[in-house]
Amino acid sequence: MNEIALLQNYLIVGGLLFAIGLVGFVTRRNMIVMFIALEMMMQGVAVSLVAWSRFHDNFGGQMLVIMIIAVAACEAAVALSLIVMMVRRSSNLDIAFWQTLREEGQEPTLDVEVPEPDDEHEDWPELTPAGVEPELKPEQIGYRSRV
Amino acid sequence: MFEIEFLMTAIPALPLAAALAIALAGPRILKGASHTVLVVALALSMVASVMLALQVQEKNQEEAANGHAGGAVVTKTLWHWATVSKANSAADVSQATAGGEALADSDSLDFAIDITLRADALTAIMLVMVTFISLLVAIYASGYMHGDRGYWRFFCYVGLFVFSMTMLVLSSNFLLLYVFWEAVGVCSYLLIGFWYQKPEAAAAGKKAFLVNRVGDFGFALGVFLIWTTYGTLNFHDTVTVDGTAVIDGVLGANRIAQGAFATGGVATAICLLLFVGACGKSAQFPLHVWLPDAMEGPTPVSALIHAATMVTAGVYMVARCTPLFDAAPEARYVVAAIGGFTALLAGIIAVTQTDLKRVLAYSTVSQLGYMFLALGVGSSAAIAAGMFHLVTHAFFKALLFLGAGSVMHAMGGVIDMRRFGGLRRLMPITHWTFLIGCLALAGMIPLSGFWSKDAILLATYEAGGTGMGSWEHAGTFYMALFVAASVTAFLTSFYTFRAFFRTFYGEERIPAEAGHHAHESPLSMTVPLMILAVFAAGVGYVLHAGGAFENFLAQTPGIGAVSHEAAGQAAHADGHGAEHASAHSFVMSLSIFLAVLGIALAAYFYIGELKQIDRIARWIRPLYRASLGKFWFDPLYNFLIVGPIWLLAQLCYFLDRYLVDGLVNLIGSIPPLAGRILRKSQNGMLQMYVLATVVALLLLAAALVLPQLPATEDDSSRQAPADPAAVSWDEGRLEEDNAGRVASAVRPSLRVEGNQK
Repeated sequence: MNEIALLQNYLIVGGLLFAIGLVGFVTRRNMIVMFIALEMMMQGVAVSLVAWSRFHDNFGGQMLVIMIIAVAACEAAVALSLIVMMVRRSSNLDIAFWQTLREEGQEPTLDVEVPEPDDEHEDWPELTPAGVEPELKPEQIGYRSRV
Repeated sequence: MFEIEFLMTAIPALPLAAALAIALAGPRILKGASHTVLVVALALSMVASVMLALQVQEKNQEEAANGHAGGAVVTKTLWHWATVSKANSAADVSQATAGGEALADSDSLDFAIDITLRADALTAIMLVMVTFISLLVAIYASGYMHGDRGYWRFFCYVGLFVFSMTMLVLSSNFLLLYVFWEAVGVCSYLLIGFWYQKPEAAAAGKKAFLVNRVGDFGFALGVFLIWTTYGTLNFHDTVTVDGTAVIDGVLGANRIAQGAFATGGVATAICLLLFVGACGKSAQFPLHVWLPDAMEGPTPVSALIHAATMVTAGVYMVARCTPLFDAAPEARYVVAAIGGFTALLAGIIAVTQTDLKRVLAYSTVSQLGYMFLALGVGSSAAIAAGMFHLVTHAFFKALLFLGAGSVMHAMGGVIDMRRFGGLRRLMPITHWTFLIGCLALAGMIPLSGFWSKDAILLATYEAGGTGMGSWEHAGTFYMALFVAASVTAFLTSFYTFRAFFRTFYGEERIPAEAGHHAHESPLSMTVPLMILAVFAAGVGYVLHAGGAFENFLAQTPGIGAVSHEAAGQAAHADGHGAEHASAHSFVMSLSIFLAVLGIALAAYFYIGELKQIDRIARWIRPLYRASLGKFWFDPLYNFLIVGPIWLLAQLCYFLDRYLVDGLVNLIGSIPPLAGRILRKSQNGMLQMYVLATVVALLLLAAALVLPQLPATEDDSSRQAPADPAAVSWDEGRLEEDNAGRVASAVRPSLRVEGNQK
């Protein structure tokens, strides 16, 4: 297998990774899934970088990839913590919940209405009430409703 | 004793300094004491003016002793305002191509404007008159304007006016004359509209300014024509910029000595254009309509600007340009005709006006007409008479206006003669001083108005007798003007005493507005009245005695030239001395008779019941209606000029509003429309943004890659040999492989991407 063919294979793998990641990022609304798709795109880029680096006999690219992995780890930590914070605020993972960047006066884009949660028919375990219900601070109510 | 150059600078500088000081310190520091600064400055200025006049007289005598005719002129160049050397002058090119001889002349086409002051007899007369009247008016105004909200503003404007007016008479250059001509117009506008909250005052100020624009336009054209004709705008002789040659000033000594004035059509055009400017400023027919309305301003302003000083600027200018008018006798006829006609017309209108200040305003227009009539007659005696009337008129008309202001002050702002009467016991000082002013205006011997009016009538009569000029009908023409002037003299004394009797005699009536104000005015107002009364009574005889005024004025270079010429005529006419004396006594007795007749008739009709005058008014109903309606000039101008311009303005307004603005708004509405469409994409959905980025990236990539692809398979086979170079993306690696394989390896992958699009 000559150099060019080798490069091609790697590039195809990298391109596929990137493309799948891109499609995943655009089509999925779960923030965690989107984040994974994003990571995939980045790994696609990393693969092609490694391939080109090998093709050119220049290991700068491979070093860059190692750095990308390190940065990606940091970025993952930051992004996941952000996601956690957002979930705490909105109680769901749907990215479509966050549309506040839209133009002023623009109607929010809505899916089919999600039915209001029906507490009566919900299969929550019923516990015998005991003791005093702790007072909740108003700002805690928003994201403690399911806890 | 100060140097004359210093005095020339100090006279305008003092009022300007006072105006600036009041403008800066008036509203906060000076407040009610604003007048003191101006009064002190004007007093100093007046003393300087008198000293200047004495020094000019001294210099004139020196000149005469040295055997130089024509009197002395002192010029002082403060600085060079503008200098455009001849190289930049377009006119120079035409001059140079005209021929070798014209080249010497083209030196004079340097466009050099100097700020030059000039003192001669004419200027000295005007300066003394202006500063004296303005000093008294400023003192009077400190009482009249007492407690006004814009007290300091008033004195600031007056200071500015006196500066402009003194500069106007001092300037030795047509452009500078024009500048200060405009400056006094601006001050007039500011002071007419002084009570700008009053709509009539604001409208009157605007009207005065706009009507003056018409005249000033003519003046400006006249100045342009002087420039193209004489190649300089200076009155005095100047040295060229490079200092090699002397430019003869328009009214310079060289030119007057040589008599090198343009003649014929050009001279007539220059003079008529200058006269249009004079008509505007001096309120002559057909531009007289602004002056009666200007009475909306404070009365001291009416006295100072619209009776004594500014409105005489036109007379001054025509007198200053005497040599130019000498070269254009046809223009003289126009000046005389307009002057005589205006005098009569304004006299007729003044007879029926019921507003005291308006009577005086029309009287001013009429008296200015007299002055122009005298200037139009054009003999040296006539010009001296015109200037003499200017001076005496300044005194007695300022006196009358200030008296009217005193009445108005006491009557709580009411100036309609139908609403008050019999004020002689209430206001004794105003009554007596007003009487002296009225007698002077009516031309009663031996008050000042008699001497000057008599001189004008005499000059006109003699011109009618000798038929001055080349025109065959000149004799008849001047005789007709003499008759008109005589009728006007009668009308003058009639309307003056009509106003006097209706105000001060008859049953005592005081309007409700007067309130507790109905008493004699304070000392600050009555003292200027008394001083002016003394001058109005005495100045005529004092200046007339022994021809002092005439001799002094004749020392003005331009006018002196005429007097020189006329001196020859006089010597020639010595044989007619007896005729002259008989003409003089005839005119004198006629003028006294007319004055007495007017006073007697006014007394007969207006003391007591007004029945008889009503009968006469019915008897000459058309004339009465015309006079009462001021000959319908305002409606006529409204219909002929204001109306069409208003319509045009409306048309322009609609074009601007709907066509121009519509186009602009149309273009302006495109971005919002585009924005409304594009705004939908700005929906805050993260994935839409990502998609947009991806699509844009793909488009960009396609735009970069597609042009490098062969359009069809055929093209690619044909271009195959050239391909290696086209896709040489890494020479170092490709050395080992042959070019064909590289091409085949690369192309399919590119094509895949291309097909995706």
